[in-house]
This record gives sequence, C-alpha cells and structure tokens, in this order.
Amino acid sequence: MTDQLVLLLPSLPLLSALLTHLLSRIVARRVVHISVAGGTLSFLIAAILLGAVLSGQEASRLALGGSWGSLLFDPLSVLMGLLIAGISLLVRIYSVRYMAEEPGYARFFVLLDLMTAALLVMVAAGDLITLLIAWHLIGVLLYFLLGHDTRSRSAYRYGFWTFITYRFGDLPLLLAAAVLFHTFHTWSLPGIFDALAANPDARTFFDLPVSEVVAALIAMSAFARSAQFLLHTWLPYTMDGPTPVSALMHAGIVNAGGFLINRFAPVYAYTEHTLHWVFVVGLFTAVIGSVLMLSQHDIKKSLGYSTMGQMGFMIMECGVGAFSLAIFHLIAHGLFKGTLFLSAGGIIGEARHDDGVPKDDLYTFIVERRPARNRQPWLLMAAITLAIPVAVLLLSHLAVAPNLFQKQGAIVLLFFGWVTGAQLLFATYNMRSQNPWRLVALIVFSFTIVVIGYTLISHAFDVFLYPDPDFGDKLYKAAGIDFSWFVLLVVFASAVIVLGWLRAYYTERSQRGRWRSPGHWWRNFYALVWREFHILDIYTGLTRNLLAASARINVWLRWG
Amino acid sequence: MRGIGYLFVGLFLPLFPLSMLLNAALERIAHPLLRSALLLLWPQVGLLALSFFAAEPPSWLVIWALVTSALYAFRLLAMREMGRWTGFLATSAWALLWLPAAGGVAVSNLWPYAAAFSVPIAFLTLLASRLERRFGAAYTGLYGGLAQSTPRFAGVLVISVLAATATPLFPTFFAMLGTLIVSQPVPAVWLTGVWLIWSWAAARLLQGLIVGTADPAPQQDLEMATTWGYTIGLVGLVFAGLILTGGHL
Repeated sequence: MTDQLVLLLPSLPLLSALLTHLLSRIVARRVVHISVAGGTLSFLIAAILLGAVLSGQEASRLALGGSWGSLLFDPLSVLMGLLIAGISLLVRIYSVRYMAEEPGYARFFVLLDLMTAALLVMVAAGDLITLLIAWHLIGVLLYFLLGHDTRSRSAYRYGFWTFITYRFGDLPLLLAAAVLFHTFHTWSLPGIFDALAANPDARTFFDLPVSEVVAALIAMSAFARSAQFLLHTWLPYTMDGPTPVSALMHAGIVNAGGFLINRFAPVYAYTEHTLHWVFVVGLFTAVIGSVLMLSQHDIKKSLGYSTMGQMGFMIMECGVGAFSLAIFHLIAHGLFKGTLFLSAGGIIGEARHDDGVPKDDLYTFIVERRPARNRQPWLLMAAITLAIPVAVLLLSHLAVAPNLFQKQGAIVLLFFGWVTGAQLLFATYNMRSQNPWRLVALIVFSFTIVVIGYTLISHAFDVFLYPDPDFGDKLYKAAGIDFSWFVLLVVFASAVIVLGWLRAYYTERSQRGRWRSPGHWWRNFYALVWREFHILDIYTGLTRNLLAASARINVWLRWG
Repeated sequence: MRGIGYLFVGLFLPLFPLSMLLNAALERIAHPLLRSALLLLWPQVGLLALSFFAAEPPSWLVIWALVTSALYAFRLLAMREMGRWTGFLATSAWALLWLPAAGGVAVSNLWPYAAAFSVPIAFLTLLASRLERRFGAAYTGLYGGLAQSTPRFAGVLVISVLAATATPLFPTFFAMLGTLIVSQPVPAVWLTGVWLIWSWAAARLLQGLIVGTADPAPQQDLEMATTWGYTIGLVGLVFAGLILTGGHL
C-alpha cells in the first residue's frame, strides 16, 4: 500500500498537468480546478505517508525497473514531500483568482503541476539519475514559470539569470554522480551510502578521497540552488515573475540546497574538511545577504536579499553539523516567506487606507528614533543583556541534549542565539517606556518561549530524521575543528561583538542630539553596498565580452 | 594511414576545420527535407567508418573533438540565424561522439547517441524553414512574440530546442550522461561546460523568437495535424530516450 502511495504522490500532479492541458479547450477556465483537486489529493497522500513514518513503518526504496528510476520512502522524503505538497496547494488555490486575468491561465497551472511533480520526485529520488533528472527539470520549469508573461522581455531576462545559475549548479551534481558511479558501480543512493560506509576511505581520480570530492561537488550544487554568495544575483532580481511563482520559489525551490546536503548526509559523515568551508560560505552569505537587505531601497530586492541571508544561515547550520536543524529552518522559512509573498498584495491594499502601525513605544523608538530620556544603571543592564540569553539557551538545550558541550556545532549555534538575544535586550535599553522593567520582563519571556520552542522542535527533527545518535555525532565530528582553535575563534568573535556593542553605545551617547555627516570611507562603503558590490556589473560585463568574442570568432571563420 | 583514416571520420564526426564542410553543405542545401535527411545520416556515416578501426581512438583525437565541440558551442551564442544555429549545434554534439568511442563504448552501440541529437535538430530544421517561408528569414531577435501570435508553433519550437540541448527526459540527456560516465575527469568537466553553453545558447535563441509583443497582423499557426505530428514525434523521442540511451545506463 505504501509503495502505491509513494508512486502516486508525484504521479498525481503529472496527471493533473496532462488533464489540465487536454481539457482546457473544453471546460475553459474552470479547468484549473483539476489542478487544485490534484494538489489536494497530493497533500492528503503526503500527510498519510508522514503518518506512516511516524507510526514506525520502515524506510524502503521503490524500484520502477532497470538500474535507475526509484523512489525512497524515508523520513526526509516524506517530510519534504508534505512541505512541497502543502505549499504548492496553497499557491495553486491563491493563483485561481490571482492569475484569472492573465493570458495563458491554463498553461500556468500546467507548469505549476509539472514543477510540483519535479520537486516531489527530487525529494523522493532513490537513485542518482532520477535525482539528476528532477534537479535539472526544476531549473527549466522555473525559467518558464518566471517568464509566464511571454510579452515581458525583462521577466525572461531575469528568468534567464535563474536558469543559467541553476544550470551552472547542475554541473557539480553531474560530476558527483559520475564519480560515485565510477567508484561504486551503482546509481542507487542507499547502495552508494552502504558501499561508502563499508569503505569510507575509498579513492577516486588522482587518488582523491571519494567522500571529500563528492561532498564538495554536492555543496557547490547546493550553493547555486540556494543563492550563496557569488551565485546569488538571480534571487533578488526575479521579482518580475508572477507573485505565486515568487512565493513558490522563496518558500520551496530555493531551499533545495539544504535538502540536497541532507540527502547526502551519509557522505558528509565521512568528510574532514568540506563542512568547514560550507560553514564559511554560509556565514559569509548570511552576513552579506543581511547587509544588502538593509541597504536596498526597493522592497522586493530587500525581500530577495532577506531570503539570501536566510539561505546562508541554513547552509551554515549544515556546516556546523546541525543537518536536521537546517531542515527545520528551511520549513520554517518556507512557511514564513510564503505567507509574506502571498499576503503582500492584500497588505499593500489595506495599507492604502490605514498604515496599521500603532503609535506605541516601539514606534517612537524605531520610526521616530526617539530614545529613552532616563536610563537604568548600565552595569545592571549590561549584566542582564549578556547573562540572561546564555542562561536561557543553556538550560533549554541541556534539557534535550546533556552532551551539548561535546558538539562544537551546537556551541556555535548557541553563540548565535546568544548574540541575537543580547542584541534584542541591548536595543531595549534605549527604548522609551513608562515601565522599562515590565518591557524587559516581557522581552525575556518572549525570548524564552522562542528558544524553548525552537529547541524542542529542532530536537524532535533530529530524532525524526537522524534517529541513530551515533550518526548525528559523526556529522558534528565531521564539522568540528581543533579544540584550541575553536576556543580561540569563539573568544575572538565574542570580543569583537561586545566591543562593537560598546562602541555603538558610546557613539550614540556622545552624539546625542547632534548630527554629524558620515565620513568619506563610510559613504564609499555605503555606495559599494548599495551597488551590491558591483557583482552584477562584473557579470554583465563578462557576459557582453563573451558574446562579443563569440561574434568575432564567427566573423573570422566566415560563419562556417 | 590510420591518421588519414581518422581524418576521413573527422569529416563526419566533425573535427575543426573539417567540420566546415558539413556546415557549408548544410548552407547550400535549401530544401528542408534534404537538410533533415543529411542531419540524420551524416553522423551515422562517421560511426560506420569508425567501426572499421579495431582500436579505440587515441587521446589526441579526444582533445581535438572536445576543442571542436566547445568552439562550436561558443559560436552558437552569437549565432542568430536558425539554420546555421542547427548546423553548429549538430557539429558541437557529434564531435562529442569521439568521447564514448575512446572510453570503451562499442561503436556499434553509439548510433542511438548520434540519432538522439539528429532527430530534434532535424525537427528544428523543419521549423526554421517554416519561419523562413513566413518571415523571409529564421532570425532570432528580429521579430519575436511568437508565443503570442503562434502559440502552437512556439510550443513545438520550445520543446524541440529543449530536446536538442540535452534536457531530461529526452535521449540527448541520457547520451550526455552516458558520455560523462565513461570520460576521464578533465574531459568530463569540459563536457559539462559545453552542455552549459548549449543551455545558454538555447535560452538566447528562444528569447529572441518567442518573447515580446506579437505582430498585430494575423499569423497562421501550425495546423492541428502538424502539431500532433510533432507532439507524437517528441513523445516518441522521450520513450526512445528511456528505452535506448537511458535504458543502457
């Protein structure tokens, strides 16, 4: 029974795409209800499959014949399947009215159905060829979805950036597949993982370790799909596509990098170095994405860079060995960003009548930039700022994982949690409020609730996705570095952050009420960030030069 | 003697500058059916000739083939005339047939690989001739808006271009994958680079033809019967890919 449902899950959207296309002339615009019905059924099947895994049904692989063409039934595939089926159903329901006035109404739903099928096959792929097919098709289908309005040249131009970045990301995955097949002589993913576990020191071309080579190639593929720095330019510029496509892209497709790294977790468990630079790329992307988000005037670009920052954080979580946390992150981000995109139109409409911003303490502090007149004793506030987040984070994490301090990755994540919590309390210190202690207490309470919720849910994800604690430890170990270096880095990062806070505090205090023009260096830096580090200009120049070179060669060779 | 033999094969499994003969021949043949027939037969002649060699092709030929393939893929980027575009793509794709031959795949098993590229390129030749009849030239970036004015033609064109540039589930995709797994690391990286450039060129071709505002004058779209003919051909290609090139992986 489970096998039939696993097969039915991606087949339903395929069937509804076919029916929508064939019947569009007969039942006209009502044909899209076929797509919605197919999406509803897919969601129900995905929910039943998740229920089956939760009830303890064993993981299995459904082979459709030959050496490739198989689907997996395991915790990762059913969890991702439910997410994809859910988001794509919401997007389809939303599109029924949103796209009603657009030309190519039925074609849009056909493409949405095909995209859903490709995504469902990708997460359930049980062999490398099936995975490659789905991975490649997602890029192609996204290109046509983004360019749904065939009159718009700009939609196609920006859709092309997405397409070519995705195609660039396909190449490392192809090479990884070739290396794995060359080494283990099978396309089956479970077969490859078993063979690697039996021989973790297997070597490939140039006597390189298979695990490191494949892990690095997989990571590169994930970077392109999840808009990591230097491969990110497509993301903020693809807003010319229809809003439902933006929602699907930001809520689902862009998260594929995190999924891919998780799918190949058994390879990463045998690496020594790859996860370190995965962490560095993720961290760099998170910082750059956040900086670019804050500097953009265009709200849509700002949203795109916000997604880039989140993707950086997700990849960074993989880099510290917290693979299951990355899955939780991508689901949470997907739901959050999907809601943002789908509700954006309604909110803009409502805001035309009423901005809905309450004129309370937060408003006077953030919008009017009017800090509190009376301050609390700074030593006491500093102690609260630094100590309370640590205490909350440590207690909640130790409750679910007593061996917390043996995992460097967990400490890094705690560190980020501490910085976020402390930053929140630090900002509170300046806020104008009738009762500052009440405000602090409420913020600490909210922080505690968020941390406890996050800790419990991420622990549940860990138990669900990687029930074998030894395997989880292997991933953390693969991400670890020499302990003395680790301590040094943590101390250094803490010192930089605390010094930054102190500087911000004293600068703000000494310049209160006086405006000073920003310095030359600061203005240049701002211009550089606002121009997105000129990365786009460099790529555009490179593209023009390549096209000119191609034309020149054609002229030299007389077009023959 | 063997070297001269390889040069002869290099006319049909094109190696630059011998490849210029193929492109010159394609330019001179005006009739679309004759051009299509040439596209279908040309690499098969090369494979037949290659089968007379007992040994695998030497590595210097593989390098030559890779350079040829990359050169014609790169030249595709600036090529706006669809007839020549199909010739360049065919040259770039057929040059890659030297790789599996050098990687130990029996030459007798390579005919599906060659046909995988020939058939969609032949479809494109027929579609280009239709554009030439209607507009006087099959030229990307000149008129555009075909998705609006002739949606059936645009649909068939898009799918045929995807089929010709090794998109799953078409046989070209499996042929490229089959070539990749028998290649050494450096040729494999080179091969993926060529594949990427094909995708880039395909997107440029399509954007120049199907995107944009349509000509207000009424256009004659593909007839339903012809559309069904192309559809059946393309669906047949998918099945052929799954059974022939894909089935042997």
